[in-house]
Parts: sequence; structure tokens; C-alpha cells
Amino acid sequence: MSKNYNEKTITTDGQLMLKKAEKDQLETVWDRYEAQLPQCGYCEMGLSCRICNMGPCRVDPFGEGPQKGVCGADADIIVARNLGRMVASGAASHSDHGRDLVEVLEAVAEGKAPGYHINDEEKLKRVAGEYGIDIDGKDILKIAGELAHAMQEDYGTRKKSLTLLQRAPEARRKVWEKAGVTPRGIDRETSEMMHRTHMGVDNGWVSLLLQAVRNALSDGWGGSMIATDVSDILYGTPKPVQTLANLGVLKADHVNIVVHGHNPVVSEMILLACRDSDILAMAKSKGAAGINLAGLCCTGNELLMRHGVAMAGNHLMTELVIATGAVEMLFVDYQCIMPSLGNIAGCYHTKMISTSDKARFPNMEHHEFHPDNAADLAKILVRKAVENFENRGEVYIPVDPVPAVGGFSVEAIIGALGGTPEPLINAIKAGKIRGAVGVVGCNNPKIKHDYGHITLIKELIGNDILVVDTGCVAVATAKAGFKNSEAVQFAGPGLKEICGAIGVPPVLHMGSCVDNVRILVLASALADALGTDISALPLAGAAPEWYSEKAISIGVYAVASGIYTVLGPMPPITGSMNIVKLLTEGLNDVLGATFAVEPDPEKAALLIRKHIEKKRAGLGLDSRDIK
Amino acid sequence: MKKVVVHPERCVGCMQCMVACATAHSRSGELFSAICEIPLPKPRIHVGVGLYGEGFPNRCRHCDPAPCMLACLPGAIYRNADFDTVMIDPDKCINCASCAMACPFGVIRYHEDIFAPMKKVVAVKCDNCIGRQAKGLIPACVEVCKSNALTFETSAEALKRKTNEVARTVSAEAGITAAAPGFNLLNAIKKTQNQLKAN
Repeated sequence: MSKNYNEKTITTDGQLMLKKAEKDQLETVWDRYEAQLPQCGYCEMGLSCRICNMGPCRVDPFGEGPQKGVCGADADIIVARNLGRMVASGAASHSDHGRDLVEVLEAVAEGKAPGYHINDEEKLKRVAGEYGIDIDGKDILKIAGELAHAMQEDYGTRKKSLTLLQRAPEARRKVWEKAGVTPRGIDRETSEMMHRTHMGVDNGWVSLLLQAVRNALSDGWGGSMIATDVSDILYGTPKPVQTLANLGVLKADHVNIVVHGHNPVVSEMILLACRDSDILAMAKSKGAAGINLAGLCCTGNELLMRHGVAMAGNHLMTELVIATGAVEMLFVDYQCIMPSLGNIAGCYHTKMISTSDKARFPNMEHHEFHPDNAADLAKILVRKAVENFENRGEVYIPVDPVPAVGGFSVEAIIGALGGTPEPLINAIKAGKIRGAVGVVGCNNPKIKHDYGHITLIKELIGNDILVVDTGCVAVATAKAGFKNSEAVQFAGPGLKEICGAIGVPPVLHMGSCVDNVRILVLASALADALGTDISALPLAGAAPEWYSEKAISIGVYAVASGIYTVLGPMPPITGSMNIVKLLTEGLNDVLGATFAVEPDPEKAALLIRKHIEKKRAGLGLDSRDIK
Repeated sequence: MKKVVVHPERCVGCMQCMVACATAHSRSGELFSAICEIPLPKPRIHVGVGLYGEGFPNRCRHCDPAPCMLACLPGAIYRNADFDTVMIDPDKCINCASCAMACPFGVIRYHEDIFAPMKKVVAVKCDNCIGRQAKGLIPACVEVCKSNALTFETSAEALKRKTNEVARTVSAEAGITAAAPGFNLLNAIKKTQNQLKAN
């Protein structure tokens, strides 16, 4: 194991915990990454194909070895099929997460989900209205039931197009229609993507990629959007809320419970149980000062956004959190949960609980949460966590937490602006804010942990670009102090003035990774207010440390929605320069936006600033020359 | 005489040469049964990691004079003249590691092997697949390498090709065209990623 902790992460808590992990002889994600090197070049380039059993096949990038798979697919077809399947998996993950929430909504309507209730009736009615449900004089639970069923139809095949596409600017919907990528059903597009990539179906690399676009749109304007809306309806639409971030949120004198994963269905019930007075009394009787709930990754973001629950860390910190020895119980649901966690926990007293019927992990206790048992099961398990407090060994919590503000839903942002996007538009028109960038995505051991996020965002806000973030990025910036009352010091003069006037930090936490749809809705509101398309706005997206298939789907729906998007790590596409060219240039003609790939965040910032100034010029606003 | 020639710029790091080598030196010669054998067959070619995460297939150069052969006191290491190959006699090997100390390339490993007496740990390294060559087959690592990072040819052929490659770059109006622009692009990205880690 290497002693170069500062080559692995820029975070102080991360570096100190890596040292502890080495002392405790833990194998971490960085060790496993080193062990995998060199990674297979065919796979890195997208040139290996495992789709059928005439194969597996690979294409020699140097042109001398095999140039076609056994079926006859060339490099373009193989790369397109592989990329399409990555989008399908990513879209399926978000959309299935959304489906689970719709099922809870349905169970609430049927009175079969004790513990859950309709938290935001106003939003329920508003969304029901969008679905064309007659809400007049109807009981709130009846509306909830009808909305759940209407959303379930969006998952099916009875519709010609998804309901929530109407939130997009009209010009954007026309772009989709013209390109033939209007998504028809959430599950349908994923299913069709899998069908088309079966051997002997779609062998046009362009048409395969267009289906990937349609599939990603069925995530962004379908599954993910439903996930966010239903979460708001069930658990409350986020408002600005104070919180804390980094490993220091764990408390040595408290029972520490950590939730990790994505869906708030489980974590919301854990939160309720942690606030149960009987269980709190039990914790006190065991000698603990209280029960401290902390989050990891996106289910942590869900709780942070709505309740200010503190955030222990992002993706690459998940193993190291356990190594503090301070966690009594760690709950996981699904997505981005490293199967190594159970082994790490074996070195400490931490009890690991898996909760989803569709996600099992080695060395974890499995307790399935369903709408009908979740509230009770959460209490039973939190009691077990409290009992585990006395088994604690040595505890190492190396840092103090950093304060941050979260909770910027679109509703909260518009609220902070005084009920209309006008002040933000005026600030952009006046050039005080040059534009806005959504920085999203994961961590990846290929990039120094949080370096990509923090370096890029520092450059952007320092140059008067407003940043909104979600997911692992949102955790990185909270830890770096970009989200508290002192954060305006990092902002350029114009952004500093506007943030000061509204009373918000220069980096706005918009939620979990499904909540990237909040950015789409905000971008649509800006475009509508200006009477134009999203692609005409001075906006960009970035995923400086992305790793997951979900991030691919997000990137594709961002570009397909008209947002220029800069990726850090290269996706597995370099086996086909035709596809590289299409994604980085050609898409502009079809969708009005492209991808770029730039692992150096300082250079990525320049690309984004140039793009924003170009879009400003296009709108007739003042434009700067960026060198 | 044909030899295994390594072209490092073409190694994509897939490690198929390692798997094929271990299989070729197993009792069954078949991947799916080889993984169940005792002792477990091990590769004699090893893919290392370069500065920027790129692969390099490291194998015995069959040096002449061979430092390992000079260092071997029991005389277990000898040259098979028919195949111009440095060989190790597992019966004579005393597992002293002198050969590994002398080897400049780090290609000698110590483990049990199907060609050695039961339970005896011996020095093991590339044998140029002389068993396969005797049957008219080419070395297993070359057979599976689809990017031509490993070729089986005479030195004269390999050098002629290289000479011509170089000659073409100095031809009048020679545009430098990359053999695989996508691979160069991927490597540029990986290089940047690695350089940033040192920041």
C-alpha cells in the first residue's frame, strides 16, 4: 500500500483515514484499482463484445488483427452497442428507483403504508394537474392513488410520449421530434435499447446512438423526474437548510447510524426511528448522549435536502467511514454500494444491514423493507444499533465538520429569488453572473478524490459562474466549504454581489443524482422566461469524476436537453473515432449541444467558460474573450 | 529462426497473454479445466504497468550469454540450441533464487509446476512454448495477442518492418498518421489523469 495519501484524495479526512486504514490493514477501493492495472485496453476503448455466444470478440485498434466480431459487427457497431447498453443500465437504475417511490405513493393512497404520508399536498395537486387528473373536491389520498396510476402508465407502453416532457420548452420538444428521439415509455425505451443491441437487430451505429438518446431522455424526463417529484410529495419539497459535512459529523458520544444508497424510502423511516423518544431514552440508558444519523452518497443527500441530516462523505469515503470504528449500524439500499463494505465492517463492531429485495451484499444482514413494514422494522433495527453501542472499540474521528447549506429545490430557488426567475435572468443579462453550470456525478479512483470537482468549481465561481450541484459533487463542495456563509469569498465580484443580495452560497445543493432533473426544470424555466431553447442559454454541465452507468445516462439526457457537458474520465468509446466525433461535434447539428472530454479540471473550466461566453454572444449579451 | 518479438506500443493491457501462457503450461491445456488443477498453472509472461497505466508484456529475453545461466551453481539452466531458448531443468533446480538475482528483467518466478517433482518449488520462466513449437504451433502468448503487441517472426522480418516504418516517416510529404488514433486519445487522457494525481 502506498503512503502517498495526497495522491489519492485532496480531503483531510480522507488522507487521515487512509492512514488509519493502512494501519488496520484494510483493502480499499484504491488498492483494488492499483491491482487492476493495467486495465484492458479493448474494454477501455469499447472494442470488446460479450453480447452473444459466438463471441466473446474484440477488435484490434491497430487494424492488423481482427476488425470484426464473429457476427460481422465492426468497431463502430460494437462501441455503439456497448454504449447503448450502458445508457440502458443507467436509465433502468434511476427509473426503477422512481418506480419504487410510485409504489409507496400507491400504498399510501391505499392506506397500506403506515409511517408514510403525503407531506406536500400542494405539489401533489400541482403534479396531478400536469397529469390531467381532475383534483377538484377530491380527497388527497384519492388524488395520490390516481397520480400513482397515471405515473405507472408512463412506465408502460400505452402512451405516445411521456407526460412530463411538457415541462421542456416547446423548441426543445420539436428538436426531439425532428430527431425521432421523443421517449414513449420509460421501461419501453430501456427494453428497446436491449432489444436493438441483441445480435442481428440494429446495426446502424447512428440509429443505435439515437435510441440511446431516447432511452436517456426516458430517464431524465421520465423515471428520474418521477422519482424526484414523488419524493417531494411524500417527504417534502426541500427548502434551504443548515447541515454539516465530512467524517467529523460522526459523534464519539452518540450512537452513530449511517444510511448509504439512493432511495429515501428506507432512510426516511430510519430517520423517524432515530427521533423516537423511547429509542432515544434507551440510547441514554446505554450511556450514549443521543442518536446521530448521518448520510453517505445520495440517500444521504435526500435526507440532507429535506431535513438537514449531516453528510459523512461521498462514494470514495464509504469504506473509510466504517474504519472510524464509530458507526454502530450502516443501512444500505441500492446503487453505488461497494460489495467490499461488509468485509471492512468485519474489522469493527459495525452492523451492516441490506434493506432492498433487489440488492444483497456479502457479510451484511438482510432485512427487507416494504411500505407495510418499514416504520416498524426501522424501529426494531435502530434499537439493535443502540444495543451495539456498548460493543464499540477504539474510535477515530479525525476532523471537525464543515457547515453547509443545502435544500435548493427549484421551488426554493425561485422562492429565494422572490417568486420569479427574473432576478437571476437580470443578473445574467447584466453580466454579473456569466452563466450557470450543473456539476454532477461520482468519484472515481482514476481521478484524485474530489480534486476534479473542487478545482473545476473554484474556477467557475471565481469567474462569476453560478454552480448548482448534486450527488457526490454536492458532498465534495460542502466538505470544501463552498456552501456556507463564508463561501462567497470564493466567488467573483458579480456572483458575490448577487449571492450576497439573495443570501445564498455560490454553489447550490440541488440534491441527489435523480435530482439532476431539478436542473432540467430550472433550465426550462429560464429558457421559457427568455422565450428560447435550453441550448441557447449560457449553461453547461460537467461530470469531472464520473464512474457509473447512471452518470452516462445523465450525461446523455443533459446533452439531449441542450446542455453542453464536459466529462472528466473518457467513456469507453475511443475504439470508434466516428462515435467520438459524433458525440463531441456531430451532435451539435442534431441536438444543439455536444460532449467534451477533459480530465484536467482547469482546462475543463476554460472549455466551459468559452462555451458560456459564446452562448452569451448568441443571446446578444456582452461576451468576454476567454484565453 | 523465429522468435517472440514484443512491440510495447501496441500492448493494450488485456492480459490475455498471461491467461494463455498459464493454460499452455497446464496439465490439461484447456482453460476451464486448468483453473481446477493442482498445482494451479501460472503464467510465465507478466503484464506490468507503465507510468501512465499502460501495459507492457514482460517475458524472458533468452539472453546469450544468459546471466541466469552463469549464476546457476547446480547447472540447472541450459540453452536449447534447436529453439534458441534458455531452459530450466526442474530436477536440478535447488530453488536458491540466484538466477532471479542475476536476471535484469525480473522474469523468473518460484512455484510448484507440473513439470517439476511433486511439491517441489522450482524456478519457472518462459520456455518459448517449445512443446507447442515441436507440434508446429506458435507460442501461446502470440497466438492470443490480437493487437500484435507480440509477434512470432525472425529478427530480420521484424527489423525490416520497423525499418520501413521509420523510412516512411521521413518520406517527402509524409503525413504522420497514427496507427490507432483512438488508442492515442485514450492514452493522452490516462496520462493527464496520472499527472494530475501528482499535483
